[in-house]
Amino acid sequence: MLPQLVTVRVRRPRGRTIRVWVPLLPFVLPLLPVVALAAVVACLLHHVSVPRALVRGWRFVSALPGTRFDIEQGGTAVLITIK
Amino acid sequence: MNEQRKDVLDLLAEGKITADEAERLITALERDQPPAVVDLDARPRGRAKYLRLEVDTLDNGEPGRINVRVPLQLLRAGVRLAALIPPQALDRASAELAKSGVPIDLKQLKPEQLEALVEHLDDLVLDVDQPDAKVRVFCE
Repeated sequence: MLPQLVTVRVRRPRGRTIRVWVPLLPFVLPLLPVVALAAVVACLLHHVSVPRALVRGWRFVSALPGTRFDIEQGGTAVLITIK
Repeated sequence: MNEQRKDVLDLLAEGKITADEAERLITALERDQPPAVVDLDARPRGRAKYLRLEVDTLDNGEPGRINVRVPLQLLRAGVRLAALIPPQALDRASAELAKSGVPIDLKQLKPEQLEALVEHLDDLVLDVDQPDAKVRVFCE
């Protein structure tokens, strides 16, 4: 399943928290042809099999949901989750 | 089919024993069979889904915490994707690692070895306890 939502939460030392929900589909869909083209050119330049690279890249992106990074130092905290 | 069972069937085919006797002999042979060897590699896979890294630190009196959860599927996909990196890029990366004091030849790391490592990560529990830091790596 493709990642659909990235949540970023930043807590500052004064206690103020910023939460941002980024729906990925509206950002990814327009960029997808450009990214795919860039990947194809890079593969051709470095003599890497294009279909194999595209399939493996797609699988990597599809495996992203469930990833979570939570870093806290003193009063500052950053949380990034991919759903 | 094992040899003894074949002998019994041969005797039956030659008419030297009756069907009832053959059945009794085969039943007796099955009773004497040693128990099947348990294949440790046949254990159910996919129990653990995530690799977790938890770090608790105390830096200049300020507590710090890192909590990372990475799907094991992402690690597998990453290993397969990394297998496509051209050798010249691996050479350059190895040279940079060596400059930084980490003399690892990345070309020696085979994708199949890394995949095997990821497959067995669900058995991993790593605990490091120090006065100012605590690190825990495990799968869930």
